[in-house]
Amino acid sequence: MIPQSHFLILSAILFCIGLFGALTRRNAVGILMSIELILNAANINFITFNKFLGSSDGLGQVFAMLVIAIAGASAVVGLALIIAIYKNAKTIFADKINLMKW
Amino acid sequence: MSGLIQQLNNTGLPQEFMLKAIFYIIAASTVFFAIRMVISPNVFHGAIFLALALIGIACIYLYLDAEFLAVIQILIYVGAIVTLFIFAIMLTASIQDRTIKQTNEQVLLSAIVAFVFLCFFVTIIRRNPWQAAASKAEGLALAQLGRLLMSAYVLPFEVISLILLAALVGAIVIGKARK
Repeated sequence: MIPQSHFLILSAILFCIGLFGALTRRNAVGILMSIELILNAANINFITFNKFLGSSDGLGQVFAMLVIAIAGASAVVGLALIIAIYKNAKTIFADKINLMKW
Repeated sequence: MSGLIQQLNNTGLPQEFMLKAIFYIIAASTVFFAIRMVISPNVFHGAIFLALALIGIACIYLYLDAEFLAVIQILIYVGAIVTLFIFAIMLTASIQDRTIKQTNEQVLLSAIVAFVFLCFFVTIIRRNPWQAAASKAEGLALAQLGRLLMSAYVLPFEVISLILLAALVGAIVIGKARK
């Protein structure tokens, strides 16, 4: 019923919104949220190709699950890093954190 | 999905049309919430809009015959990850102040880059002649998915568990108060 290309275009739009957010946000939490959106766009692609191209082996769904788990792990580690940086540097703005810049 | 189709059959409109209309409404609102998440000056509102966009994506999974993943999406993303983001926003102060600039000076450049990427993707997607929908009538049953996860795809499953363990240990080590 709904053509495959419409799902792919929706995924591309979400990816580009996430890319824009990751490039423009100053807040490190905002950058992480945008990255979650990018991972979700990739997930839509996985499941779309699983439905329209795959046989019944479910590879796309399994890898969508892998992506969800990796997104959870990255969010946990990223937020722990942000809170550790906030304790030391008293800021979470990415352009203020230049501790390792030469 | 079948229950929804049953209900839609009771309304007068043709079922195909209704399903299509609901899909485009969900897709448009997902994109709207995603844009609001990216541009909202308050990061807390951004987290709420992220939750709404993720619920919209879960509804789109339903259209792709991935019911289990839709449930997983709502449980893990909206239930756990967005809550974690809100915790982090609450723990780091002085970001709800509207006077603090939330975007850096590369907004115009980033918008151009994102738009060029979008044009590129859409051109490629439109140019490729996608074959018509495969004859796969049924979605993947949950029992079948679980069996696959334990037999054919046991390697990704184990990799997930290793990554989660590493993330758990790493988060504890990083987050531990220094003596």
